[in-house]
Amino acid sequence: MGTLITTVTESIRYRGRSGQYTWLAHRLAGLGILAFLVIHVWDTANASFAPNVYAWTIEVFKTPFFGLGEIAVFGAVLFHSFNGLRITLLDYKPTWWHQQKRSVTIVWVLFLIVFVPLGLYLLLGIVDSCQHPPVWEWAGQTATGASCFSFPPTSLYGIGS
Amino acid sequence: MATTISNTDSRTIRNVRVKANFERTAFMFMRSSGIILVILAVGHVMLQLIFNNVHYLSVEFVAEQWSSWGWKVYDMALLVFALTHGINGFRNVLEDYIHNRGAMKVINILLVIFLVVSIVWAGYAIASADPAAMDAAALGQ
Ligand code: HEM
Repeated sequence: MGTLITTVTESIRYRGRSGQYTWLAHRLAGLGILAFLVIHVWDTANASFAPNVYAWTIEVFKTPFFGLGEIAVFGAVLFHSFNGLRITLLDYKPTWWHQQKRSVTIVWVLFLIVFVPLGLYLLLGIVDSCQHPPVWEWAGQTATGASCFSFPPTSLYGIGS
Repeated sequence: MATTISNTDSRTIRNVRVKANFERTAFMFMRSSGIILVILAVGHVMLQLIFNNVHYLSVEFVAEQWSSWGWKVYDMALLVFALTHGINGFRNVLEDYIHNRGAMKVINILLVIFLVVSIVWAGYAIASADPAAMDAAALGQ
């Protein structure tokens, strides 16, 4: 616990500038992607093993809060991959280390160029999904929700009955 | 360990050859799998999130993808590389903060078990996927 508190406070307090913040961002992005990936892998396996359960979960994941989380994971993947390539390149070319500060700036700029427009596009998709109440269809039956925030009824998918 | 030292301008560069050991292999794996994941993971995210709008995701869509061996192999490769890279990265992070060797040993064993079980479970799901049965379930036939 002591280590955890020291880690969190020092990560914020220590003023290592862009290199240190980028290291922290790389680590947090990696952990965030992993958390998503574990859920995503076990959930997607259900598409094959239990299609009705999978069908219900993907409708839940289409609601706005999960949509925002998806945009965050998308940004994390982009940043972590660009920065991972930078780390790999500099590990391979130690003679370039004096350019590390510039390389960090390049990674953040490239990341923003790709992420901002695509992130906005995904955000518009969420807004768009809220223009009409959702209609869910499963095994020849349909149900409607009150708003884009509504979860589909589990009974439609024959879950827990 | 062979070392060559060369001087270029004011900097000294030591080229050190380290004999193969687990940590070195893991270090190299993080870099090589990272390069592979730029194609597999970034490609997957671009395809599924941006080009095949997620709001259209359905059981039928997954059934269609898994009726092709190409996509099955793609998804399985992504599964193996992303999970192995991520879990090894997680181990690296934990080793920075947990200094109890016994505890780390237990955690490492649990991580390997989790990695293997996840890959076998999801890999089997992809390999054995029956698109016709998935479509039939979705349509209620
Ligand atoms: C998309 C391409 C990717 C690239 C190029 C990449 C590259 C890298 C590299 C080079 C490292 C080592 C950093 C170091 O030792 O200092 C690393 C660490 C890590 N990666 Fe990735 N990675 C990618 C995708 C992923 C994915 C999909 C996940 C999650 C499943 C992930 C999770 C992690 C974690 C948790 C770490 C440890 C972070 C740390 O030690 O601070 N990475 N990545």
